[in-house]
This record gives sequence, C-alpha cells and structure tokens, in this order.
Amino acid sequence: MSHTPFILASYLISTAVLLWAALAPVFNKRGLLQQLKARQARMDKTQ
Amino acid sequence: MTTETAIKNKPRKNALVMFIHKMGSPPWFYNFSGKLVPWLWAIFCSLAAWALYLGLFKAPADYLQGESFRIMYLHVPSAWMSMMIYTSMAIMGFIALVWRIRIVEVLAMCSAPVGAAFTLVALASGSLWGRPTWGTYWVWDARLTSELVLLFLYLGVIGLYNAIDEPRKAARAACLLAIVGAVNLPIIHYSVKWWNTLHQGSSIGTSGNSIHPSMLWPLLYMAIAFKLYYGANLLSRARLKLLKQDHRKRWVQDLLAKENQ
Repeated sequence: MSHTPFILASYLISTAVLLWAALAPVFNKRGLLQQLKARQARMDKTQ
Repeated sequence: MTTETAIKNKPRKNALVMFIHKMGSPPWFYNFSGKLVPWLWAIFCSLAAWALYLGLFKAPADYLQGESFRIMYLHVPSAWMSMMIYTSMAIMGFIALVWRIRIVEVLAMCSAPVGAAFTLVALASGSLWGRPTWGTYWVWDARLTSELVLLFLYLGVIGLYNAIDEPRKAARAACLLAIVGAVNLPIIHYSVKWWNTLHQGSSIGTSGNSIHPSMLWPLLYMAIAFKLYYGANLLSRARLKLLKQDHRKRWVQDLLAKENQ
C-alpha cells in the first residue's frame, strides 16, 4: 500500500484548516472596518 | 516629610506588574499586539518551513511504519496544541470569572476557535495515519474518543458564547463551561495508560524518548512553530473582538479617523 495519498491528504486538510483559521479574522476585520468607516461617513454627512 | 521625599520613597511598581496593568487597557493592548502579530507570523512561517523540510526530506523513513510516520509532524504537535490551548483557555476562564478582567475574557473566548482548528487537524491527520498503520480510519478507543469529546467541548464553548447577546454575560457562561470541560484533559493524557487502546503510548516524556534525534528535532521545531501560530492567531482574533465590542468608544473612533487620513 502506497502511503503517499495519506500523507498528502493529511497535509492538505491540515493546511486548509489552519489557513482558514488564520485568514478568517483578517477578512472579518476588513469587513468590520469598512462597515465602521461607512457609518462614520454617514454620521459626518448628517452633522 | 515633604512631597518630594514622599514621591522618592514611594515603592516603585515591578516592571512586569506595570506591563500586566497596561495590557488590561484595550487601546494599549490593541496597539501592542498589532506590532507583535507580524513578527509572530514571520517566525512561525520560517520555523514551520524549516521543520517541514527536515521532517519531510531529511528524516529517514521509519523502519516499521515506512513513510506514513511523516504525518507525525502535523498530528503530534496539533494534538499537543489542542490540549495546551484548552488548558490555557480554562485558566484564562478562571481568571476572567474571579477577577473580571475583560482582556482575559476576550483572550479565553478567542482561544476556542484556534483550539478547535488544532483538534480537527489532530483528528483528521490521526485518522489518515491510522488507515495505513492500523488498517482503519477510526476506532472508538479511549484516546480517539476523548479527543473527539475535546472537539465537542470547543464547539460547545463557541456555541454558548455566540448564543448569548450580551458579550460579557456570554463570556462568563462560556468560561464556566471551559473550566468544567477541563476534566477531560487528564482523561486524554492518561487514556493510553488507563485503558487498553489501539493508540500507542507517548514516545516523548520526561524520562526520555524513543525517537531518533533526526526525527525528533523537526517535531520539536514544529511544536514551537504551532505555539507561535497560536499566539499570532489569538492576538489577531482578540484585536478584532475588541474593535467589535468597543466600536462606539473614543479610541476606536480615533483609530478610524487616523486610518481615514
């Protein structure tokens, strides 16, 4: 039995999970900052 | 005694105590961690790349398991991390419940998704390692089952925290669950001693290890790299959570104004 597919699969799955865990806060922060900036711009307009 | 001598004689606070006090302030924590995070990511990437190069290309194949042992460089450090993160989450949960320090509360809650990711990696890589060595992806043995319970505990903490609207109330409830769930940690650790399991006992311990140094060093480098990953990821998540919770406060408004300029 060749072990290569098991090694490759485990490294691919682990990379995907850890990459997702690392990038999720980056994307969330980008979205939140955009939201906050838009809200501030709206508030500045009304004042 | 004059005011001048009174100031001179006043006991100075320890630098570490001062640092801990400063870390309790969200704007200070946000700025300090912002400087630290890129360094942690850079050192993690370099160390992980070096460890994987040694583990995948330099270490010889195992005489019993052949090439499949190379899964160890992911499986073992992530299993260690899953337990270490839970331990630190429970300790931070205890501190947050007793002393009500908000930053510690935030750090405890931000540890849960990172810990869950490491537990998932440990379970998936272990399952893929099990097929060529044991002939099966999964067995309900004590070590595997208790590690699966750990994943459910992490998911429970995340779920409970997100189920309650008020963030501080939610954190307190989730911290309590994290503390109660810590009972699973000794069960995971001693499961291979207390029960007859398919999973092997630990090869590395305080009384020595049974791994050749050419295989051991990449494993230790990877373990350190994963700790840096945890640090970087935890701080990134904590910064985001503070921004979300404090978005109406002055320091966040100032931060946004500075970014807009």
